[in-house]
Amino acid sequence: MAADVKTAQPLQYYRKFIEKDVRPDERTLEEFRPTVLNIGCVTTAEGSALVKLGNTTVMCGIKAEIASPKTEEPKKGYIVPNVELGPLCSILFRPGPPGDQAQRLSQFTNDVITHSCCINKEDLCIVPGKYVWVLYCDMVCLNYDGNISDACVLALLAALKNTSLPKVVWDEDTETIETDHNTTTQLNIICEPVSSTFSIFDNEVLLVDPTVEEESLSTGEVTIVTIDDKICMIRKPGGSPLTPQQLDLCINRSFIRSQEVIRLIQETLNSVDR
Amino acid sequence: MVDVQLSDAEKTYIIHGAQDNLREDGRGCEDYRHLEIETSVVSTTSGSAKIRLANTEILVGVKVELGETSPENPDKGRIEFFVDCSANATPEFEGRGGEDLANEISNMLARAYDCPSCLDMRKLCVVEGKKCWIVYVDVLLLECGGSLFDASSIAVKAALYNTSIPRLTVTHDEGHTELELSDDPYDVQRLDVYNSPCIVTLSKIGHSHVVDASQKEEACCLARLMLAVTDKGCVTAMKKEGSGSFDVSSIEDMLETGKKVGQSLNKSLMEVLVSEDRNMKKKYMTGYLR
Amino acid sequence: MPTDTRRITGPESSVSPYSFCKIQEPQPLFNSQDLRKDGRKCDQVRPIFLKTGVVSKAQGSAYLEQDGTKVICAVYGPRAVIKKEEFSMKGQLRCDFKYTTFSCKYRRQYQQDNEEKDYSVQLLEALEPAVLLHKFPKAQVNIYVTVLQNDGSALAASITCSSVALCDAGIEMYDLVTGCSTRLAGDRLLLDPCKHEEYSSKEHSEVNNGSVTVGLMPSLNQISAVTSSGEIQFEHLKKAINKCSEICVQLYPVCQQSLSKSVKENIKENT
Repeated sequence: MAADVKTAQPLQYYRKFIEKDVRPDERTLEEFRPTVLNIGCVTTAEGSALVKLGNTTVMCGIKAEIASPKTEEPKKGYIVPNVELGPLCSILFRPGPPGDQAQRLSQFTNDVITHSCCINKEDLCIVPGKYVWVLYCDMVCLNYDGNISDACVLALLAALKNTSLPKVVWDEDTETIETDHNTTTQLNIICEPVSSTFSIFDNEVLLVDPTVEEESLSTGEVTIVTIDDKICMIRKPGGSPLTPQQLDLCINRSFIRSQEVIRLIQETLNSVDR
Repeated sequence: MVDVQLSDAEKTYIIHGAQDNLREDGRGCEDYRHLEIETSVVSTTSGSAKIRLANTEILVGVKVELGETSPENPDKGRIEFFVDCSANATPEFEGRGGEDLANEISNMLARAYDCPSCLDMRKLCVVEGKKCWIVYVDVLLLECGGSLFDASSIAVKAALYNTSIPRLTVTHDEGHTELELSDDPYDVQRLDVYNSPCIVTLSKIGHSHVVDASQKEEACCLARLMLAVTDKGCVTAMKKEGSGSFDVSSIEDMLETGKKVGQSLNKSLMEVLVSEDRNMKKKYMTGYLR
Repeated sequence: MPTDTRRITGPESSVSPYSFCKIQEPQPLFNSQDLRKDGRKCDQVRPIFLKTGVVSKAQGSAYLEQDGTKVICAVYGPRAVIKKEEFSMKGQLRCDFKYTTFSCKYRRQYQQDNEEKDYSVQLLEALEPAVLLHKFPKAQVNIYVTVLQNDGSALAASITCSSVALCDAGIEMYDLVTGCSTRLAGDRLLLDPCKHEEYSSKEHSEVNNGSVTVGLMPSLNQISAVTSSGEIQFEHLKKAINKCSEICVQLYPVCQQSLSKSVKENIKENT
């Protein structure tokens, strides 16, 4: 009976739950889904991480290649993030080039890396003006159940923390480089950006970490990226307007989330080292 | 390939016939249909061949160009296959319809020729680490009458045999390398295709298998096994195609037949090519390309 | 490379750091105790971890891990055929095989290249004989396989993974299809090769060096897929196919166990 109401009138179905301050999957309105993190799972990549935010699964793999830098920035490397929403993860996506949503997510992750300055691009320099590292960060969605942006940012951050680059030796006489894969250096991460997404339901209620059904019923969305206790980025692409008090609530909740996530990453890294 | 509509009675007739080693057109299970080969048909290429196998007609042109060596193989040349299914062959190939089939044929040819002993790539190297000959093989399907893989591989082997690469003299001058093309048009380097493979397609009809299936026989068969066989009796590539499946024991029988047929095909093909080459000047041109 | 306007682009061209490595001697396949590099014997296969239901949004899915090779497969369908011209009274299967960009030593491209298209066709032909296509006329079933990490035998692992996923989706089948591949090195057969043991025409040039992949339907004892590459003599080829078929039969109970486990869990959840 409940399943019939859910298919025929999803909005009413959700309203009944939200009146009692709870959601169909037994979460409160401010609760994130259980997050599972697995770092260093793919050994062919220089850095990798798998994030499971409830059912949403995103795997991030980082491959490093060597290229020549831009002439106007001879000491800066490149970081190229890309999100892939393939037909594997959900019935909503068709095979072919990236659609709108994938492009938006790729641009979002690119903005997060640029604005948060979590990696100093000059760290990626090998020989100024000649050789720099290019980090291709590819995030593949394996199961699409809403809130991909948070999962992607977390996967990207964890994979970057896991990245280790091989040692490169520059021979001045022959002007060639030689890589040695037996010695590696860990990438230096300056800060840890964490994103929290809220969806606006019925123009009033804020739901943290929406599932795909909640996203389809939402009237607006806001994503806040924080670094420690400072705000790095707020993205609110249209949708229902928010009052300043509601925005404050979101910001406070995202600070709490940021601490949870950083602790989770630290614990996972410790267990991997052990 | 055009799908021929067959009734159940016709299918049964073909299946029972194959079991008794008697096919619709009177052939045995291991016989090829009438095969005509002609080389040097396109004068703008380095080598070419046209083949007609019953209703299948294929034209292959080979062009060689100087190019950069690949970093993984600095002392070897390269060969690249490209197959074009022309809309002339069947209306299904209109636009991008023939792309899948073309990809399959070129992949199979690339895999079959991937072995180092098929074509000596080292002879194609001009300056080690820098320049090499790249052989571009272009296969054009003019008419589809079944056995496309077989006919393509025979035509490719004939065209490669016919290919003549101009001889280059390399002079090193204080770190500066110069390449000089020989003036004599007959001073050429030929490719040794003696060990190149030919693809034999074995189609499973009922419980037995046939070589070189006609279109009607292809409509009855659910699965095909393609083997690229060299003259020495080795398999350089194998592929199963179709929505049916094989018994483990029937695969062994098919491999036996494939080896026998492949070796005899290679032998007779080389005989024909060598004799045609010898009688070059006395050749009587046939076919509409001349 | 033409600029991809739909993705964030990096520099025009970049080279893998492995191209600047010192050229290493090819390592011998067997050590002094006649064991392979990872301690296995010639005819030992890597242990398989198989789990179904990993993609909650798909009708059926499976994840297979064979030491370093990690493959995930999702099945969607039966659903309506997109292009009306491709109607047929028999159902259709569509297979899509893709390596992720970070799954191999050298970074791969975003689009499917020739090798992946070839594997997609081979996967389709391996699975078609096993599925009852006439049970879903005018509909198609889409099978998407993504290789997360490639440590050899990716095609064989994909065949096994996708047939388990098809079963998980409830598509009627005659039998499961299990895949196994082997590397021939002279007179020896190395079953389930790792990436460094796999045949590559650039490195291996003697006769009888090659690889064979077999897809088998164990209870019907029918081979639904067989491919080979490399120059192999017929006797060795027959031996390789027989050996692979034996191993495919051994893989059958593993697949059955994981499927029965997931069915039991489903029943428990729903009661």
